[in-house]
Amino acid sequence: MRFNSLAFRLFATAAAWTLLVLPIAGFIIYQLYRDDVQASFDGQLLKLVNAITVDSMGSAAQEAHPLPPSNLYEPLFEVTHSGWYWQITPLQPASGRKLVSPSLATWTLPSPAAKSVVPDLSGARWLNAKGPKGEPLRLVEVIDSLGHEPGKPRYSIVVAGPQDWLDHLVSNFRYRLTTALALAGLGLVAVTLFQVRFGLLPLRQIEGGLAAIRSGAASTLDGDLPAEIEPLQSELNALIRSNQAIVDRARTQVGNLAHALKTPLAVIANEARTDKTGLGDKVVEQAEIMKDSVTRYLDRARMAARAGVIGRVTPVGPVVEPLVRVLQKIHQDKGVVITVDCPPDARFSGEKQDLEEMLGNLLDNACKWSQREVVLKVEVPATTSRAKNRRLLITVADDGPGLNEEERKRIGKRGLRLDETKPGSGLGLSIVLELANSYGGSCELARASQGGLQVRLNLPAA
Amino acid sequence: MRVLVVEDDKDLNRQLVSALGDAGYAVDTAFDGEEGYFLGDTEPYDIVILDIGLPKMDGISILEQWRRSDRKMPVILLTARDRWSDKVQGMDAGADDYVAKPFHMEELLARVRAQVRRASGHAKSEIECGPLRLDTKSARVTCNGQQIKLTSHEYRLLAYMMHHNGRVVSRTELVEHLYEQDFDRDSNTIEVFIGRLRKKIPVDVIETVRGLGYRLSENPAPTA
Repeated sequence: MRFNSLAFRLFATAAAWTLLVLPIAGFIIYQLYRDDVQASFDGQLLKLVNAITVDSMGSAAQEAHPLPPSNLYEPLFEVTHSGWYWQITPLQPASGRKLVSPSLATWTLPSPAAKSVVPDLSGARWLNAKGPKGEPLRLVEVIDSLGHEPGKPRYSIVVAGPQDWLDHLVSNFRYRLTTALALAGLGLVAVTLFQVRFGLLPLRQIEGGLAAIRSGAASTLDGDLPAEIEPLQSELNALIRSNQAIVDRARTQVGNLAHALKTPLAVIANEARTDKTGLGDKVVEQAEIMKDSVTRYLDRARMAARAGVIGRVTPVGPVVEPLVRVLQKIHQDKGVVITVDCPPDARFSGEKQDLEEMLGNLLDNACKWSQREVVLKVEVPATTSRAKNRRLLITVADDGPGLNEEERKRIGKRGLRLDETKPGSGLGLSIVLELANSYGGSCELARASQGGLQVRLNLPAA
Repeated sequence: MRVLVVEDDKDLNRQLVSALGDAGYAVDTAFDGEEGYFLGDTEPYDIVILDIGLPKMDGISILEQWRRSDRKMPVILLTARDRWSDKVQGMDAGADDYVAKPFHMEELLARVRAQVRRASGHAKSEIECGPLRLDTKSARVTCNGQQIKLTSHEYRLLAYMMHHNGRVVSRTELVEHLYEQDFDRDSNTIEVFIGRLRKKIPVDVIETVRGLGYRLSENPAPTA
């Protein structure tokens, strides 16, 4: 996941919130639980101290001393140093008797009143202290007089319980709480991660769709996309359509321009050819240059209009078939046989018209020069790399006179014609070259095995 | 040979008419699609030169309608639209050849000759008939190697008969194929030209088939 990505933003915010909220929640829960446990423990101690007070002081109105509690209340009061203790001490030591639980043995519990602890609303004083073994104790003290009668000798009744048991309980809870919350946090982060991936899945789909358009496998962005992205999808498709419309319009305009210019040029040239003075020759020569320029720049304009247009795939077979049909008809007298070897799945990544121009010009040239036989071979070499880099190799060969090496180098450079005896504009091959280059391809001339010229086109396949 | 030129550009039309006329063709002309269609549909042309971009009716539609109604004369399309897709469209509509503007008049004439020859079943540019040889390129006729000087009308007549040698050609057919539409059609003029040809050609090559017309014979007897 990259730092500057939607996924990271979504994930980081969600994770940060989780990591912030969970510890706070844990702390609050822990506090509440601890207070609750403490309160319930204190309640138990208070109940004990009250019961012992009532038991030993209430029924001792007629006595000079408090009575030992008739009830045991808590069995651990009997076990030495159990942590559970009670202690009844006279506030005026001279006049009273001191009673303690057997568990206390020789130990004396400290009196909260003596440490000037302020009583709470029920009159109980609370204190945390150390026990005989140094263990933490929770003490509660109630001051009462014999028989609850004011004026009688007053006693301090203290009950103590083991605080460490409580601490143990709380720390146990804290451990389990931490574990549970940590697991919840991990789970949340994992869910967030999944959520982000799943939520952003349509973006991947768009990415794939756009790649398909660029590589030409699709012409529009297809597929069921979520409601939020659907407008993007329809806008993108509209953009592609309008792009196409612009190209088509440019093509139409260029065609109109061509038509508008070519007829007057034909008239001028034909008229000048009938003129036998030097002027006529000059006009013919210049008209030819104009004609070549018009053709060249119209082709360039068409190419430029096409540049940047995305996503065109042209199956080669359906382009070749009518061209061969037409050329065989045109060169009927010669009886030219065009042999086509084209795999059915060969596809050109580009405009149909451009492929038509390239193949049409090459085949037409080959037919003009050949004796009888023209061979068109289309290959799509298998590549190990991704489909994007696949190439389309098209070879057009004839059994005509061919060209020598020097001629092959010269031809195509400026659209010049080597032989004026065969009709044709001479621009054919240079247009093929320019078109092939505009697709990042190449066009090479070689000697055909049949003896004539072999032209080898290397174009991007789809 | 009778040619129809359908081209809306007046100058180009004039140039075509004059070049074809000079080459020995009888030329009819039309400046818009409807007129061109009508002429091609009603008159027996040996070849049609048809522009694609025409007012009222475009060349492709004209051609398709002709082919639908079984008009089989060769048609050469003439157009500035020289994309291969245009060529394919034109050829599929029934054209026999395709010439892109601007063009060399000589090239067009060569293609016209080739189509006329092809339509009458001759593969080579020279047509032979017994001792007669017609060189369609140079528009010359020789008999046993000796050139025969012919006027334009005599040439037209002989060339038509040589294109269609081996079969009987009627006077009406000759009139229809040798003269422009607005020519005063009197079949007697044909007889006059046949007579002149017989005088000029040293062998008796033109047979009269009574009631039907004329035929070129392969093994003519020398004339006296």
